[in-house]
Parts: sequence; C-alpha cells; structure tokens
Amino acid sequence: MSAQNYADPSVVVSAEWVQEHLNDPKVRIVESSGDALLYPMAHIPGSVKIDWHNDLQDQTVRDYISNEAFEKICLENGISNDTTVVFYGDDNNWWACYAFWAFKLKGHKDCRILNGGRKYWIESAKLPTTSAKPNYPKSDYKVPADLDWRELRVFRDGVLEHCKAGRPLVDVRSPKEYTGERTHMEGYPEEGVLRGGHIPGAVSCPWGRAVADDGRFKSAEELAAIYEQELKLKKNDDVIAYCRIGERSSLTWFVLKYLLGFEKVRNYDGSWTEWGNVVGVPIVKGANP
Amino acid sequence: MKLAELVAELADCDKQERIEMLLDYARSLPPLPPQFEALRDPEHRVEECQSPVFLFAEKSPEGVAWYADVPMEAPTVRGFVSLLWEGTQGASPAELSALSFDIIGQSGLKEILGMQRMAGLTGVLRRLKKIVAETAAG
Repeated sequence: MSAQNYADPSVVVSAEWVQEHLNDPKVRIVESSGDALLYPMAHIPGSVKIDWHNDLQDQTVRDYISNEAFEKICLENGISNDTTVVFYGDDNNWWACYAFWAFKLKGHKDCRILNGGRKYWIESAKLPTTSAKPNYPKSDYKVPADLDWRELRVFRDGVLEHCKAGRPLVDVRSPKEYTGERTHMEGYPEEGVLRGGHIPGAVSCPWGRAVADDGRFKSAEELAAIYEQELKLKKNDDVIAYCRIGERSSLTWFVLKYLLGFEKVRNYDGSWTEWGNVVGVPIVKGANP
Repeated sequence: MKLAELVAELADCDKQERIEMLLDYARSLPPLPPQFEALRDPEHRVEECQSPVFLFAEKSPEGVAWYADVPMEAPTVRGFVSLLWEGTQGASPAELSALSFDIIGQSGLKEILGMQRMAGLTGVLRRLKKIVAETAAG
C-alpha cells in the first residue's frame, strides 16, 4: 500500500504502520505543520510538535539552528540518534518534508514521512487524535562530527554556477510566482522581493502536483510521468529545487530523491526571497524557462 | 466596532494564551446558514487560502450581514474569521469596507502563523471588504 514502487519505500510509512508503532519506544512521531494551532487542537496520540520556524530556524541569522540547539530539541522530545523519526503535518506534508530535510541537514539517520499527513490520518483513515501532550524522558543526542550537508543544500553561489552551466532547476512555486506576476503578498510588502520571475533555466512544476487528492504521494509511475517524461529530468541529473523560502521545495526534493531515486538533488533554501533580491544575478520573467 | 477591542485583547496575551483564545474563536464560528451551502463555489472562495474558505454577504435590516465557511482543519484562519465575525457584528457597511489590513499584524498572529497562511488572512479580509461593498451598493 505505502510502497507504490518507490525507489526507497522505507522512507514513506502508512497510517496503519504508524498506528502499530504508537507505543514503540524506538519511534517518535513528530508533527510539523504550518498552522501552529493544529497540534494544540488535535494530534496523533504520543506525537510531539517540532515547529519549522520557531524550533528549527535560527531567530537572528537566516539559517538553521546550531548543532547544540538541535541536540537540545531532540533530547527534550526523547529523540536519540537511533530513533526512527516519522514526520507528518498539514498542507499535504510540505512542512513535514521541510522538517525531514532539516533533520537530514543535522545528520539524523532514520527519518520517514507519514504518507498523507494529517489530512489522510484524520479524513481518510479516521484514526484517533488527542490534545494531550506527551512527556518523554530526556534522551541523549549528538550531531555527528562528520556532518556533511553538501549533498542536500545549495547556496546562491552554487546556484549561479549551476544555472550558468545549464543544469536543471525546478521552480515549485505557483504559476503566478514563476512568471513574475506576483512579487509579494498584499499587506506584507516587507516579505516581498524586488523582482518577480524565476531563475534562468528553471522549469515550473508546482509542488502540489506530486500529491494525490487524499494527501498521499502519487505512485512512482505517476511521479515519473511528471518529472521524467514531462519535465525531461533524468535520474543522474544534478537537480536543484527551490520555491520562496525552501519549504515547498523540500517536498519536491523528497519526491525526487527518495520516491524516484534521483542521484543528486539539492534544495536551495535561500530560494526566491534571496534570488529575487540579490544584486547582480539574472532572472527570467514570463512562462518560459 | 468591537473588533479593535478583541484584537487588543488577543495582542495582550502571551503566545500560549493566544493559541487557546484563537482555538476558542475557531470553535465558536457560527455554522454557515443553509441557504449558502450550495454556493460554495470558486466564485465565493478566498483564492489565497490553501484550505477551502468561503465568504458570503447579504443585505440585512442593519445594512449588510456576512457569513463564512472555514474548515476546522485550518484553525488559525477559522479563528481569525470568527474573531472578525464577532468583532464586526452591528458594524455598518462603511465601517466594514474601511477595515484596515493592520489588524492582522496587530493581533499578534504573525508569530503563530506561517507566512503562507498570513497571505490567506489578508485574502480573507480583502474579500470580505469587497463583498460587503458590492452587497451594500447592489
């Protein structure tokens, strides 16, 4: 049911699997949702909340938290280095994939995604939820000394080189953001960018296309039809995904890397809020790459 | 209008209390009157919201009455809409049309909400102002 011919079927777990492991001390279920009210309202019994913004991002430097701060979050939530961490959330798991990616940046080995996230758990599987917060004994956690995130993350200089070399980029924002029609959200000009458009050469493929109506990932065949046949990406391509702040593109990164088995996929978390404001980098407006 | 008072009350809370208050608002949004149920179509939907959020307005003895349908699985948007609804009961169409986008920031929602959903709230407010003005004029 959950395997769907994915390149790495182990990273996607079904609601049934999670239900069987609710009391498994080697498994920690983590909710990471965009709407911070969801977890206090109702969550999977025994799950903890790790917030993509307040917990995982540094509040002064635009970057992820330090290794020490990450260790603290893990040990407070009873997560050890060998814990199987299963992420789920709202918006078809886009924030869950973002937290998954951030955990990978910090070198956590066993990360998985609950297929379908909150939507599937509540609406389709109709499995129980609770508003009670669990309390786990503190664990030990150590970020590995040989941490290497270069296979996962790329900075703007790397993107510029990549784009000059004509290598593939996937822009997973909405079509209006891709063409440049929309540069900021109304009422929040401080969150906007100076220019609208996309990185030269980037193809448009909104992140949500990877997800079925019930919130679960599409099958490997359906995903291949989008990313390989339609977008002409190849499994041995060096691919960069980006969006506005790197959250939606985490889902696309996850899909390409684990479900389709692409060899080299990186997430550009600076994304359009950086690229659209950088002095001296090229952009393209309109519907063509 | 009562709204300014409710927004100030929310802003004065600490984060945990604000979450509880918003959840209370979310739970207390009145159900959509049945005459609008069949009208939940793209024309009445707030485009900026990830979740299906619908707003309706009709003429009333006091001017314009408005109603909303927001899923419980979008509690922050639902809480915000419920706060708006409660805070604008008895307000005139002119007062409703003049609502400032600043109330979103003033209510302290930004630290609770992701930016994606902040855009949704702005969309809700813009749409509300538009349908109230249209209904009042029509």
